[in-house]
Amino acid sequence: MLKNLCTTQLYLLKGANNLKQQVRTTFVLKRKYEPLLHKTNEKPRRLRAKHFIYELVEDTQVKKRPNMEVVLKTFVEGVGDKGDVVSMKPHFVYNKLLLPGLATYKTPENIVKYSKTEAEKSAVQHSSAYAQRTVNMLESIVLAVIMNKDEPWVLEPWHIKASLRKAGFHCKEECIKLPSERIEGPDLRKENKEFSCIITINKLEQATLKCRIHHWSTDPSERLPYVLEHWKLPAEPLLESSQNEAPTSNVQKPIVK
Amino acid sequence: MAHATPQGVKLLNGFKRPGRFEKGLGAQLPEAYKKFWREWKLTKPAAVHYIPKESEWERDEVTNAIKPVQSIPFPLIDTPESHQGIWGGEAVIKGFQKRESTKRRVPHFWVPTLRRSVVHSQVLNEYMSVVVTERTLEQIHECHGFDHYLLKNLACDLRSALALKLKRKILKSLQMGCPALSAEPKHQSEVLKEYSPYLASYTSEEIDWYGHTYLEAIHKLQDQLRAAEKVIPHKVEFRSKLIERLREAGIAEAGKKDPRDSVSHGDHSDADIDALTKLESSTPSSSWLSKINPFGKKET
Repeated sequence: MLKNLCTTQLYLLKGANNLKQQVRTTFVLKRKYEPLLHKTNEKPRRLRAKHFIYELVEDTQVKKRPNMEVVLKTFVEGVGDKGDVVSMKPHFVYNKLLLPGLATYKTPENIVKYSKTEAEKSAVQHSSAYAQRTVNMLESIVLAVIMNKDEPWVLEPWHIKASLRKAGFHCKEECIKLPSERIEGPDLRKENKEFSCIITINKLEQATLKCRIHHWSTDPSERLPYVLEHWKLPAEPLLESSQNEAPTSNVQKPIVK
Repeated sequence: MAHATPQGVKLLNGFKRPGRFEKGLGAQLPEAYKKFWREWKLTKPAAVHYIPKESEWERDEVTNAIKPVQSIPFPLIDTPESHQGIWGGEAVIKGFQKRESTKRRVPHFWVPTLRRSVVHSQVLNEYMSVVVTERTLEQIHECHGFDHYLLKNLACDLRSALALKLKRKILKSLQMGCPALSAEPKHQSEVLKEYSPYLASYTSEEIDWYGHTYLEAIHKLQDQLRAAEKVIPHKVEFRSKLIERLREAGIAEAGKKDPRDSVSHGDHSDADIDALTKLESSTPSSSWLSKINPFGKKET
């Protein structure tokens, strides 16, 4: 076994030495028994069956492929801005960028052709390539804002910040913009009512976050009965004015912890 | 003796079996097709399944004896499926494996891993779903595009009838100035500028004959030959001659002499035939006997 391992490694090493330029294919083979030499300018000898015994030198199918570099033609969400040279895995690049025409191959001409002009640079549309992903994530969830059932409270940005942290998002209080109306409690009429607040990402992109108020008590006997997957159920709007802004949808994704 | 044989003096070096371009219709194939054939079948393709030995001589590892390098290529099998996809020069290898030194060799086929993917041709402005290998995609990336891959590589390296057919299509489209991109003239001119250098190595006849298999080329030749010799049926020829003679005799029903008619005797216009049929029908039959058709269906 050990001997076999050693020999295969030896072959690999030999192949690497002989390889001047990279030969890429599925199977690279070599003969186990070389045929006998023939006269120059004559036909080769007739091959015997043993000359068709091949050994695998290398199977490039199982090798890790190096990343590919391409030039983006437009802004691509989660990848980069126009004119950026990005280096990513070849299959992703081919299927998601090259075939849809979002990028081209990296050549000096293409880099010049698709580089951003001054006018485009000054008109900032995206703070970063990944900001839109965060916007999509924030807009897909229904945030449970859990408030006290016994003590009086007024809803403030730090409540939303704490709830977002429980859902796996970290943001500053300055980024959270609550509705202009004052939301007070405890008020069981506001239980499971929906309102929306606006989260600003990188001081540029804005996401509308759907929030629902839930009451919670420290005393277990005082707690409200648990509703299974309450974020999937339809909810009434909490504020009259925000009725148009945030229409309730029936099916929502659960909060990602 | 030798001069009496069809091969002449050449027979002195032994009888040579006529090849596919020396007998039958193959002998009539144009030089343009033979050039493509040489590129496709008689050129040594790039090393795919083996590591080529660059040096002319090598030293034996055990005995240190110097011996020449005589690399005899593996026989590769091009399956019918390889011509329906684009395998990027890969082929099936048939051989044996010696898995253990004390065991008998076992037959084995090394078949490339195939997958279906989409390729995009800028010149044809088309997306195509084809069966490819990983090597094909890597070569496409290396050449910076599918069109470049087809146009840069020789027929022996493409190793697929589908790829060759697409290459001919692309070359023809380039010759006509990319009609597929006529909706966007700016893009069209850019594409033409990018790909037109490839046209320099082909004449228009070579493009016409590029990428056909032998049988396709024979069929193409047959069609050309048929189109060239236009056979006029004797019926038409004799009828026009008769009309001519009737005109000379001054019979009014034969119609006036056409200036077009005098140029081509073989041609005959419909008007002439109408006039003649009228002539036939206008002769009054005197007897009722002529109305009887003896070969007609019996009425019972």
